[in-house]
Order: sequence, then C-alpha cells, then structure tokens
Amino acid sequence: MTAVQGVDLDVAEGEFVSLLGPSGCGKTTTLRCVAGLEEPSGGRILFGERDVTRLPSEHRMIGMVFQSYALFPHMTVRENIGFGLEMRGVRGGDADKRIAQVLDTVQLNGLEERYPRALSGGQQQRVALARAVVAEPQLLLLDEPLANLDAKLRDEMRFFIRSLQQRLGITTLYVTHDQSESMIMSDRIVVMFGGRIHQIGDPEDIYNRPASAEVANFIGQANMLKGKVVEARDGVATIEAAWGRFTCGTSRPVAAGSVVTAMVRPEALRLANGADRSDFTGRIVARHFLGNVFDYRIALADGTVISVQAMGGNAPPAEGQVSVKIDQEKAWLLQ
Amino acid sequence: MRRFPKVLLFYIAGVYAFLFLPIAIVIPMSLNAGEYLTFPPQGLSLRWYVAFLNSEQFTSAFVRSVGVAFAVAILASAIATPAALFYVRYMRSGREKFRLTMLAPMLLPEVLTSIALLFFFNQLFFGTGTLAPLVIGHIVITIPFVFLTVTSALYNMPAGVEEAARTMGAGAWIAFRRVTFPLIKSGIVTGAMLAFIMSFDNVNISLLLKPLGTSTLPIQLFDYLRYDFDPTAAAVSTISLSLTLTVVFLIDRIYGLRAVRF
Amino acid sequence: MRLRLWSFALPALLIVVLFLIVPYLNIVLMSFRNPSPTAIYAPGFTIQNYVRVLTDSLYLGLLKDTLLYALATTSICLAVGFPVAFHLARTDSRWRGLLYAGVLSPLLTGVVIRCFGWIVLLANNGLINQLLGLAGLGPYRLMYNPIGVTIALVHVFLPFMILPIMNAIQSVDPRLGEAARTLGASGPRAFVRVLLPLSMPGIQSGVILVFVLSASAYIIPMLLGGGQVSTMPTVVVQQLMGGLLWPFGATLALVLSLSVLVLVALFGVLNRRVMRGVA
Repeated sequence: MTAVQGVDLDVAEGEFVSLLGPSGCGKTTTLRCVAGLEEPSGGRILFGERDVTRLPSEHRMIGMVFQSYALFPHMTVRENIGFGLEMRGVRGGDADKRIAQVLDTVQLNGLEERYPRALSGGQQQRVALARAVVAEPQLLLLDEPLANLDAKLRDEMRFFIRSLQQRLGITTLYVTHDQSESMIMSDRIVVMFGGRIHQIGDPEDIYNRPASAEVANFIGQANMLKGKVVEARDGVATIEAAWGRFTCGTSRPVAAGSVVTAMVRPEALRLANGADRSDFTGRIVARHFLGNVFDYRIALADGTVISVQAMGGNAPPAEGQVSVKIDQEKAWLLQ
Repeated sequence: MRRFPKVLLFYIAGVYAFLFLPIAIVIPMSLNAGEYLTFPPQGLSLRWYVAFLNSEQFTSAFVRSVGVAFAVAILASAIATPAALFYVRYMRSGREKFRLTMLAPMLLPEVLTSIALLFFFNQLFFGTGTLAPLVIGHIVITIPFVFLTVTSALYNMPAGVEEAARTMGAGAWIAFRRVTFPLIKSGIVTGAMLAFIMSFDNVNISLLLKPLGTSTLPIQLFDYLRYDFDPTAAAVSTISLSLTLTVVFLIDRIYGLRAVRF
Repeated sequence: MRLRLWSFALPALLIVVLFLIVPYLNIVLMSFRNPSPTAIYAPGFTIQNYVRVLTDSLYLGLLKDTLLYALATTSICLAVGFPVAFHLARTDSRWRGLLYAGVLSPLLTGVVIRCFGWIVLLANNGLINQLLGLAGLGPYRLMYNPIGVTIALVHVFLPFMILPIMNAIQSVDPRLGEAARTLGASGPRAFVRVLLPLSMPGIQSGVILVFVLSASAYIIPMLLGGGQVSTMPTVVVQQLMGGLLWPFGATLALVLSLSVLVLVALFGVLNRRVMRGVA
C-alpha cells in the first residue's frame, strides 16, 4: 500500500510550510520521512546540498514535536530539554545556560525540576517545543502538536509557535488537518489528498485559486458550478451553464466545448435586489439563521444547490425566486 | 459506593478464608512446642526451626533451591527480555505465532513438560546427573512470565519517546539505555522475581529432573510429608513462605500486583 | 539489519523449540516405541501401548477417575469462584488492590505448602474435625480419600478460575445491565440474559484452565490421597521415577492429554452458540 506518491517539495530557509490534509492523506508519513523515522521507497531528501535520504534520524540535526509530546516520563523538565544538548555534546554550565534561556522563551521558568506528569497539557506542549529547539536544529518538524489541546489554548499556541519560529528563523514543516490553523500560521501550504500533493501555494493562493475540487472543499466553503467552455482567453474563461453564462479566472488553457467545473465562494455571491443587474436566478430551498448572517440554499436551473449568505437587513424571505450576482473576479476554474 | 448484598459479602469472606486458612495455619504450627501437628499448639517453641537448621537435607535443599531460583531468574530475564523487545518493537508478520510460542510453556501441563524433558535429557543429552537439566527446565517454564511482564511494560510506555530520543540525536543503543530501559526496568525486575518464585516453588519439573541424591526444598518437603508428620515440615513451610512472600511484597512495591496479568 | 534484530529473539526461540517443542514431539514418538525394563526403550515401533491402555479396564478406570476429579474440581471452582470474580470486578472499595492480591498470592506460595496446610486441617484430629467435634459431629475421614483430594484441588486451582472471569466481567460495561433494567428486566434476569453471556469468554477460559490443570495434577492427589487415591498422573510419574517401561508411561500421559483436549474442544464447540457475538 502506497502511503505517499510523487511528493516534490522545496522549502526555503526560514520558511514555515504546512502539510495540510484529512487524516490518512500521507502528510504525517511525509514528515516522518523527512525526520528519518521512516524510509522512503524511492526518491531523495536533501537538507540544503546534503543528501540525507540514508542518514539516520539521530544525525540529521532536527527538532521534532510529536502529537503526544513524547516527553520522557522518568526525567525532569530540565533533563528532558537537556537530553538533546547532551546527545550533541553540550554539557555542564553551557547546557544549563541554554536550558534556562529556552525555558524563558517558552515561559516555563521555575518548572525545571518538575516531572511531566505534574504538568498541564499546555505546559507539556511547551516543554516539547523547548526540547525540540534548544539544540538549534536546522529544521523544525511538528506533527499536529496542538491536536490534544482545548480550543482556547490551541488559539494561543498557534500564535506562540509562529512567533517563536519567526524569531528563531528556523525552517519549519508543520503537519495539521485544521485548515484555519494552516492559513493562520504558514508562509506556504501543501495540500495533500490520498498520498498526493494537490497544491502548493501561499494561503491566499490556495483559498482563491484552488487547484482541485478537493482543495476547494477542504479550505472553506465552495460552490461548484458546472458548464461548458465557450471561450478562454488571457486567463479568463467564459462558461455556459444551464442557468446562465459567467466568466471565471483560469491558469491553464481550456478547449472550447469542454465540460468544466468552476468554484465560487459563498461570500463572492450576492442576492440581488430587484434593481441590480443579476447573473442568474434560482429558487430558495432553505434558509438558516447563523447569528450574524442568513445562509441561503438556492437551487439553480440544473439542480445544483449553492450556498449564499446575506446580512440580516437585506435578507429576502425564506421562499421564492431570487436573483444571484457573481463577483466574477473571484470565480475560479478547477482542474 | 457499590452496594452488594450482605449475603454475597459473607460468602466471599468465606471463600477468602478458604483460600488463606491452609496457608496461614502453617505458621502457628511451626511454633508448636509439642510433638504433634495439633491445633491449637501446645506451647510455643522454636525447636522445629532448630530441627530445620540441623537437618543437612533440608538446609542443603534450601540453599540449592535459592541458588537455582536465582540463576533461573537472571537467565530467564536475559533471554526473554530481548525477545519481548523484538516482539513489541520490530516484529511485523507472524506475531500471533511468535507470541504463542513464547507462551507455550505456560499453556502446556507442567507434568507433561516434565516427562517430555525427562525423556529428552536422558535420550539426547547426558541424563540428569547435573543440575543443568533442572535449571533449563525451570527456565523454559519461566520464560513466559518474563515475556508477559516486559511486553506489558513496553506497551505501557508513552508513545513516541524512543523516536523523540532519536530525533534529538540519540543512536539506537543510547536511546535504549537512556529511555527504553529505565522505563521497562520495573517490568524486567518483576518478571525476574516471578521467575524466582516459580522456580523456587516448583515441584513438577524438579521432581523428574533433579540429580539423584540431591533435592530442592519443595521436593524435600514433599518427600518428608509422605512419611513424617511433625512440625519440622511446618517450620520449613514457614521459611519458604517468608521468602516467597517477601519477594511478592517487593514486586508490589516496585510495580504493583495489579500489573501481573496472565 | 533485520537479521541482526532476529538475534534478539533467537535465544528464547531456540530454548522453547529445543527444550519444549522437540521434547513433546519426542514423547509422541516414544509412545510408539516398545517398552523395555532395562533400557529407555527397546528397538522397534508398535501401537501395542495404545491398545493396552484403551482396552485394559484398569487404565480406563484410571482415566475415568482422573477426568471425574477434574470435572468435579472445575464445577466447584466455577460455582465458588464466580461470585468472587463478580465482586472483584465490580467493587469500588478501597481494599480492592488487597483483595486482588489475596486471590493472586496463593498462587505464589507453592503447592506442597498448601497441601501441607490441608493435611493439618483435614486430619482426624485436625482443626476441622476439632471444630466439628465441638458441635458434636464427626470425626470424619476427610483425608486420604477423594474428599480431601478434591478439596485441595479446588483450593489450589480456584484463583485460575477467578482471575479470567474477573477480567471478562471487568470488560463488560456495567451500563449494559442498567440498560436491561430500564427495559424491564429484573435484577436476576438482567444478570442471566446480559452479564452471564457477556462474561462467557472469561468463564470459558477459567473452565478450560482449571480442567486441564486439575486433570494433570500430581502432587495434590499424592499428598492428600496418601496412596489410596490413584490418578493417571500419579501412576505415570510413579512409574517413570520408579522403573523404566518409559514408552508405556508416555502413552498413558498422551492418552490422558488427548482425552482432556477432546473434552476441552467439545466444550468449546458446545459453547460456541452462547459465545456468538461475544468473543
């Protein structure tokens, strides 16, 4: 069984890259290959110019934070953190200094002599972090480190980890299944499904110009509009759908007449008010009150149900025909 | 607080009494000043312990039992621990078969194993003239216990600590020495102590494999009980009990008896 | 690399294969050899040993007696042990650890000592008869007969019944019993229809364990039977220690083991219907 296929990735120094995807997509396997905990059946892994594919994990000068933290239960916080230093030949006063420094950085001063079982989840997490960075590794790897924390703590730790990473300037690979997490923290995101990379790009890129339907659906909400290409020129395609015609952006050449799907986010759609020139009409099938907005499910002529949101004041009633306007700059053709 | 019917609780108390009475009664018997195994004892005396110390047969059997048990404990642990490590950490295919093989000595009737080894050593080796067959027999039946306690300790280790150590620069041997071993030490020691007790108390294997003219303590006691009935046997039993119960107590201190699961 | 790793397991594997599996295969081989009063075995192979065992009423009677003892011991252990196992599994008393140790520690005290204790208790002037005497009863012959042997067998093997059942009951969610009660089942009915079937795997383990152990018991019938009680193991071991004719002894041992195996398998098959959806 192939867990990961054809992964080709370049990470720049000091960059924060997320591996994002649902469970089982191969992101953790990829990370573990980089860490040297698993051996790839083919391909190479390079740290800079150095080929580390055959290099054992302990020689790769990396720091890794595991989802379960994997703190040594029989060692104090100090010993846990000092372990990596000791392995790399830093002992005595030198080590003590660096341990104190890193404890300061993660705001755990005073807890050096505690054992992991006497720490809270958030504290354990920070010890795991301190332990990974204290030896100044060339690469920081994190495997869903925030998965076991409650929501509020997770929020705080996201910013904390990101700012720490930026301060230290460490190249970082971060595995997560939480799309908002990767959007907040990353310089670039690698979206994976079923062992393959679907898209690599910065958060804005991924959100507004998803490469595939899976990516579009995984990050935020997406409305899928099917139709036939009328013409495509200069990065803009004109699509003829059963309910009307619209344009969308595209990054690849498409032949006229081909059947395609375009995606448009709910916030790029507006329910038109009589006077507005609208793009098409549809029938309201459901309306939900979400607090700040109303969410409308609208059926189009070909049966597609799309999701549109409207603010409280201007919201049409829960039934009947409505006109919908697309912000066609935001529509995007999917691969 | 769970409520149990009073009747049930009385019944259970009765069962516990049933379990402990024969063992407990041996102790006051050993202090009996009188000649016979009557209860209550007719006065208190340590004469039977003196009788034990004066009996060359009993004392040599005791020493032999302790020596054998010690050797068995160490050897069984040394053999079973790497096997357990291999099984838990590296084995991919054929796990069930391996586990069954490791536990086989525990699952087969000891008398049958004893007979099998009696034949084996007499046919293919040099017979039971030395203590070697006895020690080997004990090792065979105690390996499963050490295997179980060490695999249990390995499963109870927090996930990923060995890998974490490796990402921090520790090679395989150092990771084992500094992380794995300290965390499974109690499992190994508990297994060793169980092996000690099982070997010390063992009758079935010792009976058929012991060299002619020698004896282990349980066998010596067994022989004694078939013909003589005086409180010497009680003194011997109490001494044996004290030794094994001390070891059990030590297990409980280190690992907790709760962890002993079959 | 993998080869180097296998060397971890090699000593243990070697020991078990060489000193357990091979000897067992050898017993089977042995049972087909000709017995000899002067050597381990005489040349040639035969099935006479088996014929003798299976047609001689002496040995068949011995087999029957042994199996009856095992059956009696198992039944009594089950009846006596189940409530204890249930209590141990469900109690939240702070003495629970001690109670558990209480069931476990007899196993660690050596069978000879336990038998000795029973000899003291069951003798004609032993504690039990003395107590009965206070009530004007007895003295009864409780030793050197099947009664004493059975009592001691039950005593020694009781923990082996209690522990697996305790484990099985522990893994049964107590809320299942509560659910049954909310559906209208009375306490006892909920017990019989819900708890009992679900703890069957543990009961099965305990029954098989105790049956096999008590069928192959040697020390207990020897000491508590005082020469008056003969079972297959006592006869076999006496013979092996006292004389040669080892192939015949091997056959006796194997016939007993096979009978036990057949009965255990039968039990397993009969139980399968109850265990459907549980194991």
